[in-house]
Amino acid sequence: MNGGSAKRRGGVPPSNPSKRFQPGNKNPQPQPQQQPPRDGVAAEDEMMDEDVFLEDTLYEADEEALLLLRDEALSSRLCKWRRPALSPSYLSGSESIVFQQLEIDYVIGESHKELLPSLSGPSAILRVFGVTREGHSVCCHVHGFEPYFYISCPVGMGPDDISRFHQTLEGRMRESNRNNNVPRFVKRIELMQKKSIMYYQKNQSQSFLKIVVALPTMVASCRGILERGITIEGLGSKSFITYESNILFALRFMIDCNIVGGNWIEVPAGKYRKVTKSMSYCQLELDCLYSELISHAPEGEYSKMAPFRILSFDIECAGRKGLFPEPTHDPVIQIANLVTLQGDDHPLIRNVMTLKSCAPIVGVDVMSFDTEREVLIAWRDLIREVDPDIIIGYNICKFDLPYLIERAEALKIAEFPILGRIRNSRVRVRDTTFSSRQYGMRESKEVTVEGRVQFDLLQVMQRDYKLSSYSLNSVSAHFLGEQKEDVHHSIISDLQNGNSETRRRLAVYCLKDAYLPQRLLDKLMFIYNYVEMARVTGVPLSFLLSRGQSIKVLSQLLRKAKQRNLVIPNIKGQVSGQETFEGATVLEAKTGFYEKPIATLDFASLYPSIMMAYNLCYCTLVTAEDARRLNLPAESVNKTPSGEVFVKSELQKGILPEILEELLAARKRAKADLKEAKDPFEKAVLDGRQLALKISANSVYGFTGATIGQLPCLEISSSVTSYGRQMIEHTKKLVEEKFTVSGGYDHNAEIVYGDTDSVMVQFGVPTVEAAMKLGREASEYITGTFIKPIRLEFEKVYFPYLLISKKRYAGLYWTKPDTFDKMDTKGIETVRRDNCLLVKNLVNECLHKILIDRDVPGAVQYVKNTISDLLMNRMDLSLLVITKGLTKTGDDYSVKAAHVELAERMRKRDAATAPNVGDRVPYVIIKAAKGAKAYEKSEDPIYVLENNIPIDPQYYLENQISKPLLRIFEPILKNASKELLHGSHTRSVSISTPTNSGIMKFAKKQLSCLGCKAVISNAEQTLCSHCKGREAEIYCKTVANVSELEMLFGRLWTQCQECQGSLHQDVLCTSRDCPIFYRRKKAQKDMAEAKVHLDRWSF
Amino acid sequence: MVVDLEMGEGSPKLFERKQAVYRTLDDRYEIHGEKYKGQQYSHIYFTRLHYMRNLLYSLISKWKPHVPVNTVLGLEEGKECIIVGTIYKHMKLKPSILDEYSKERSKVPLVKPHNFVHPDDHLILEDESGRVKLAGSLLDPSAFVTGIVVALHGHETSEGDFFVQDLLEAGLPPQIERPLSSGEDRYVVFVSGLNIGSNTFNPLQFQLLVDHITGYLGDETEQSIASQIVRLIIAGNSVQIQQGLLNGQTVAPRDQSTLTEPIKELDILLNQLAAAMPVDMMPGPNDPANFSLPQQPLNKCLFPGASAYNTFFSCTNPHQFELDDIQFLGTSGQNVHDLFKYSEANNKLEFMERTLRWRHLVPTAPNTLGCYPFTDRDPFLIESCPHVYFAGNQDKYETTLVPGPEKQLVRLICIPKFCETGIAVMLNLRNLECHALGFSTCLDA
Repeated sequence: MNGGSAKRRGGVPPSNPSKRFQPGNKNPQPQPQQQPPRDGVAAEDEMMDEDVFLEDTLYEADEEALLLLRDEALSSRLCKWRRPALSPSYLSGSESIVFQQLEIDYVIGESHKELLPSLSGPSAILRVFGVTREGHSVCCHVHGFEPYFYISCPVGMGPDDISRFHQTLEGRMRESNRNNNVPRFVKRIELMQKKSIMYYQKNQSQSFLKIVVALPTMVASCRGILERGITIEGLGSKSFITYESNILFALRFMIDCNIVGGNWIEVPAGKYRKVTKSMSYCQLELDCLYSELISHAPEGEYSKMAPFRILSFDIECAGRKGLFPEPTHDPVIQIANLVTLQGDDHPLIRNVMTLKSCAPIVGVDVMSFDTEREVLIAWRDLIREVDPDIIIGYNICKFDLPYLIERAEALKIAEFPILGRIRNSRVRVRDTTFSSRQYGMRESKEVTVEGRVQFDLLQVMQRDYKLSSYSLNSVSAHFLGEQKEDVHHSIISDLQNGNSETRRRLAVYCLKDAYLPQRLLDKLMFIYNYVEMARVTGVPLSFLLSRGQSIKVLSQLLRKAKQRNLVIPNIKGQVSGQETFEGATVLEAKTGFYEKPIATLDFASLYPSIMMAYNLCYCTLVTAEDARRLNLPAESVNKTPSGEVFVKSELQKGILPEILEELLAARKRAKADLKEAKDPFEKAVLDGRQLALKISANSVYGFTGATIGQLPCLEISSSVTSYGRQMIEHTKKLVEEKFTVSGGYDHNAEIVYGDTDSVMVQFGVPTVEAAMKLGREASEYITGTFIKPIRLEFEKVYFPYLLISKKRYAGLYWTKPDTFDKMDTKGIETVRRDNCLLVKNLVNECLHKILIDRDVPGAVQYVKNTISDLLMNRMDLSLLVITKGLTKTGDDYSVKAAHVELAERMRKRDAATAPNVGDRVPYVIIKAAKGAKAYEKSEDPIYVLENNIPIDPQYYLENQISKPLLRIFEPILKNASKELLHGSHTRSVSISTPTNSGIMKFAKKQLSCLGCKAVISNAEQTLCSHCKGREAEIYCKTVANVSELEMLFGRLWTQCQECQGSLHQDVLCTSRDCPIFYRRKKAQKDMAEAKVHLDRWSF
Repeated sequence: MVVDLEMGEGSPKLFERKQAVYRTLDDRYEIHGEKYKGQQYSHIYFTRLHYMRNLLYSLISKWKPHVPVNTVLGLEEGKECIIVGTIYKHMKLKPSILDEYSKERSKVPLVKPHNFVHPDDHLILEDESGRVKLAGSLLDPSAFVTGIVVALHGHETSEGDFFVQDLLEAGLPPQIERPLSSGEDRYVVFVSGLNIGSNTFNPLQFQLLVDHITGYLGDETEQSIASQIVRLIIAGNSVQIQQGLLNGQTVAPRDQSTLTEPIKELDILLNQLAAAMPVDMMPGPNDPANFSLPQQPLNKCLFPGASAYNTFFSCTNPHQFELDDIQFLGTSGQNVHDLFKYSEANNKLEFMERTLRWRHLVPTAPNTLGCYPFTDRDPFLIESCPHVYFAGNQDKYETTLVPGPEKQLVRLICIPKFCETGIAVMLNLRNLECHALGFSTCLDA
């Protein structure tokens, strides 16, 4: 957090040479304010402002770079990259500036003399970065907004007391911030009438003190003083609960100005001043007062997107053999860039910067340089001239960006890391850990590039999708349906050290890596979805990736609370962790294979609707004490099944229900608009919006239940789940009471299973159509018994339905009576990472046979054949590969793990190709000595192929396929285990002979008869005398084998040519994620062997 | 060779079977010493491009001497030039082995279409330096396939595509002049697709053919014609072996005979034929031979009877030979079948003609048709124009004469599947005239 992070800028305001600030470089303690460590603060959404001081050296040294444009190639290149020129009306300042903002931060600088003549001294200046409709970049300095928070006013405090209090507080602040010389720490204290959001209160409002401080970081320091307790003359020592004291300054500003993430802001003509001395690289740079900003709600014309510039890039480094590239040693050899305007199909700029010459590439601007320094500087120039608003890539946050910066540091290129939009401001790198309940703990690096949003597709993928592998290759195979050529990093140096053609090869590869993130971004519409999410929840775009869920709910809560004159207390830190509450119920699953249609009744947005229906909120909760004291009439409160009391909406409408209503209403509108929309862009925006709304609505419940969150309230969350349980039970009861033979129906309905928000009913009717009719009837009937807006919906029928256990089932999914939509599975091994492909294929195929073909014997036969193939060593090896990520080195693992041990062994064999930390290690389980530990039995698949090492079929049978198979078959077959895993098909076993084992070195190879394996002495012969008569038959078999392999060989290798996009160049790809990689290798080897076999027949 | 005819009573007239001088040119298709050592397919494209480019360069100097020749990389926007490279056809419907791994199993099993052409297909030209997408309406993608080498005249558009204004194909290769005919009729018979062992095979029908060409049938005129047959070419797919018996598992003793039965039957018939005349036996896709082109000769151990004769020749596929200095070239049909799958033409002869103009016997190998990964040569390049060019296993009998600009003249023959049509093809060496020889066992025919 300190020293190491490139440079903390403390600085002297230009007008004030008296050095009231300690410049950072002379200050041994780089952080202006050391905050006392707070105990029990959750890592999630830990929010801390960080004051960054403006530096006067900012204005120098920069122009010199522009004077160096003697090089014509460079200057022509730079102007190709530039943004469109400003129109005269912009230049003269006569036009209102309307722009879509993407990033907001602040710096500490001297108050603006003209805009704020009454103020002096340092203050926080917000910087809003964005793009106009014409594609001009804007940097708007917003002045006059002050950091503040609230405390509740002690009873009986008069104006004199307040001013005394002010003085005391000022004194305490000065004590704890000795090295900070601001004229005033606490600017003013105002008395206000507000209400706390917590608990139902009868009286309208009470007194609060709004404490306005000089700089944003002082909020935290002041809060600390007040929370620990302060002695006030006349009132004695007192500690305070603070309100809204943990809100980031930029977010506070957005809330107070009604700005939501990614919306359009207008600064009317005449209300802004153009800066006298530009501090940024933006085309339009202006100063204005915060009160003059007009924030446009994202509707109509203002729902559109500005043409922001998106830069997608990828770097290649030449690592040393066997080591992962390190910035202190290994050069950056290529950087590929792709700049696209938001909304365009084709990139605006495609180029690659290479170290040493590189042959040209069609449609790509290839720039070759002799030194690494030039490469890096060229990239910096690109960033500066192109001025991207969003920087994307794959794993750029953790690898590419830090690498570039650390490399420049190692090469002592001081002018490199000026990549942000602020002149001469260096990019800072620091390590962060991000942890969240939902996403788990993740180590990352934070690179601050001022004014530009970083959008790392890897992070997005890890957040939004559950995948078996997150390599760019497998992600693009999954979403774009194409395999990516993967060049192993040990080859990269060889390609670089070759000639301009081999470097070109590398450049093509590098370009593809820059291109794929852009394609993913387009295909999955991340820009639309994330901007919409930012707009709906009101947080800046960058928060969505770097922070958890709760900040989004908090942002909405704060906005809403502000409207209602409520304040939110800062009460976190109840990390007992023990306070858990009963979760959702699951009705017992009656396992089995149902060959009658099963109707599924779902609660639509169950938890949000419960909160709305029962008016559950912080401000409607009545404490046990208050309940006695207030003596509320029974008809105006709800007592929840978990025993809490909430007032009904007549007395006090809850904020959370209101937020939810708005979210759901907005979602409904968005969905309706989506149906109407014709324009594909508009559709994309609307779809992104409705999705964002849905996710936001669902995260409200989680926010109240997050014990280490911002404002946990277990009374609410436990009430929600208790209502949920009650409703599921209620539904079950009603269905089983109403749909009975005695009730006039043909069959008795039976609930076979129920989960959090759905109930599966077997009505007993034989057809899907009849089940649908009854399902609809049941949903309407039961919905009628609930309070609005809780609704039980009928959506689908499963037929047939295989219920394995709770949370595990499979079935055909019908929404219309004539055909099924798809095969739906839950909780069944289809995507789990640690399973080999064989399991997935086997399970899929069996389910397909059972559910779609309705052929149970066929499925059984298929399983038997597969098991037999496995035992007879006829299995495609790629199906048996298990992959695990190597996250740390062997010594750091406390338990020995198969993949770690293997990585260690591979390193001993050949350090160059062994997997490194961060790589995924593929392995197969091989046959080893009796009693060998499981972790000793792992082996590299390539090594297995090359040396004919026998795999351990028993391991695969017992540890991989048996459990998932039995799960499926147990509800169907009587003796599933016996029948499938121990039948006659398991009797014959074939094991290949390894070619590398010790004993084989002593073995003498002898020719054997191809027919019966009898040893033959004469090398000329192919068959023994006994088999001579079967010559034709045996030959046919040999040649058939060759023929099959040839076919496979051709198909596999031409496919790889196709992927790499070239016919005339050798395939280099070593992507172990590719399903055909091992098959291709194996085909090559088998082919050579079979050919030798066949040649024995030559006459 | 004397055909010994003892046709009933009366003085039997003796016909002496005519002969022709035979020279095999199959050595270029033999892959004896070669081994799979990790080589890939890039080499074969490379040698193909290298050979064809030299050839096209020499033609360009006559075609458009003033237009500069460039490489794909050297293209400059708007500048007219000629580029030479290998065509790559991007096909939407082309099946991929990766589909086997796709997560979603389709509800209906994939129906295997016979043709993968789609209106969205587009062409790309590639040389060692790079690729460029071809634009303009001059080239109809459905008439081209991956693997052919052409010269294109055009310019790069602002989108980075190459707008094609004109096309130059290598055209028919030069032909060795056909020797002056001796004036007498001599015939070569072609037959393919016997499929012995399949349910469509009719033993009687084939026996009729055998008896006819060996001279055991018909009157003296017919016998005299039979004696003018100098050679029989069997162009692939002679037997059909039950699949499933060859899946690597041990064959039960009772199945061993079903496996080899068709081969034994073929051997008996070949025995009769080889006793009467020279027979060239080419392997086809269904025969017990390797799969990749060039297919190597069927092993003689399969035909213990016929291989005792020195008139029995087991050849490669493709098969190239000379009969009295007349050049023959042909395949068992895989090249035409594959073109039919990946491109379109009015008839099969058109495909054959295209391969001549492209100077490549099997342009789609290795891309969609299996082929041995040669490293130093591309044996399928057609360096000199044959006089007779045939393809076996076609649906119907078709033939035509194709003239070339340099007085070349090629007889193209589609040999139909005998088991389905009962047709063999007779070619007269004297004038390259061709006719079908039909056999029917239906009584009312």
